[in-house]
Amino acid sequence: MTIYSLYIYDRHCACVYYQDWHRTVRPKLAVEGGLLPAVYAPVYPSTNPDDASYSNRNTLASSSGVVVAVNEDVPRTPLPTQSSHSPIAQLPPPPTSSLSFDEEAKLVYGVVLSLRNMIKKLSGKDEQFTNYQTSTYKLHLYETLSGYKFVMLSDPNADSLRFVLRQIYSGPFLEYVVRNPLVEMDSRERGIDNEYFRMSTDRLVRGLTVFQ
Amino acid sequence: MAIFGLWVINKAGGLVYERSFGDGLPHLTSNEYLVLAGTLHGIHAITSRLSPTGSSSGAHVISGETFKMNILLTATGTKFVLLTSLVEPTADSMLQKVYEIYADAVMKNPFHTPEMPIRSEAFDTRITTLLG
Repeated sequence: MTIYSLYIYDRHCACVYYQDWHRTVRPKLAVEGGLLPAVYAPVYPSTNPDDASYSNRNTLASSSGVVVAVNEDVPRTPLPTQSSHSPIAQLPPPPTSSLSFDEEAKLVYGVVLSLRNMIKKLSGKDEQFTNYQTSTYKLHLYETLSGYKFVMLSDPNADSLRFVLRQIYSGPFLEYVVRNPLVEMDSRERGIDNEYFRMSTDRLVRGLTVFQ
Repeated sequence: MAIFGLWVINKAGGLVYERSFGDGLPHLTSNEYLVLAGTLHGIHAITSRLSPTGSSSGAHVISGETFKMNILLTATGTKFVLLTSLVEPTADSMLQKVYEIYADAVMKNPFHTPEMPIRSEAFDTRITTLLG
C-alpha cells in the first residue's frame, strides 16, 4: 500500500501543484510554455538552473524573517563532469514516463472532468465522482466549492482517500496557500508551490497508515 | 445490492447493447447512452497511460457516491459495463457470466453481424434471468 502522487488543479483547468512519492516511472520534463511556473521544480523546463522565475517561491526566509531577494550572479564552479569511462558501472536511470509532465497533467484533468460529467449525467443529480481503479493504481478526486480539484494516485487496494484530500485542503492548503498573502490565487500565471505547503503536505501524507 | 444497467461496447467505442434494470438510476435517451459509451471508451484508453508504475490495465471500477461502473475488457476489445450499487461484491463474476452468455447467444449466432447492435431474443431472455 502506498501513495504515488498528488495533483491540484484550479478552476481554470491549470495544474497549480504537483508532488510525488514512491513513483517508479519518473515524470518527464514539461515542454516550454506547457506548465505554469511554481508547480513542481524538477519538471519545470528551464535552460538555466538558477532561473529566478522559479526560485522566487512564495515563501519568506524562515530563519531571519527578512525577505532576501538574492540572485546569484557569481557563477558557481561547475562540477567536474563524470567520465564516461568510469570503472564503476553506473546505475541505469529510473524509467521515465513516455508523456511529458504537462501532457500527463492535462490527461489527468481530462479524465477527471469527463468522469465527473459522466457520473453527474448517469445519476441525474449532483453526485460526485469519487475514484476509479485500474490494475496498478487508484485515482481519487476531491473537489472544493471554489473549483479546486485535488487528485491523488494511490495503490489500487487503498480505501477511499477523499478524507485525506479534504484534510490537505482544510489543513496545509488553507493555512499556507489561501491565507498566505504572498500567494496570488487565481493568477493563471503561477502555481502555488511554497516550502511550507510542500513540507506540511509531505508530513501529512507520510503520516498516513496507507503510506509505507 | 442492486444492479442498475448493462452496456456492451464494441471495440470501436460504439454501444451495441444497453439495458436498464430497476429505477435506481434515471433512464436516459439512447443518444445520451451512445455519447456516454463513446466517452467511456476514450477514458478507458487514457487511464492505462497514466500509471505511475509502468504498464497498467484500463479502469476496472469507476465509483460515484451511490453507484459504480464495473468494466470488463475482453481480449477482443469488447467492453462489458455493469452499473451497480457501491456494495456489490459479485459484480465481477456477474460480468464473466454475461461474457459467457454473449459468446453463446450472440457470437455463435450466424445471423449476427459482428460490431453491430445486438438484436437477439435469446440474449435478452438469458440476461433477464441472470440480472433482471
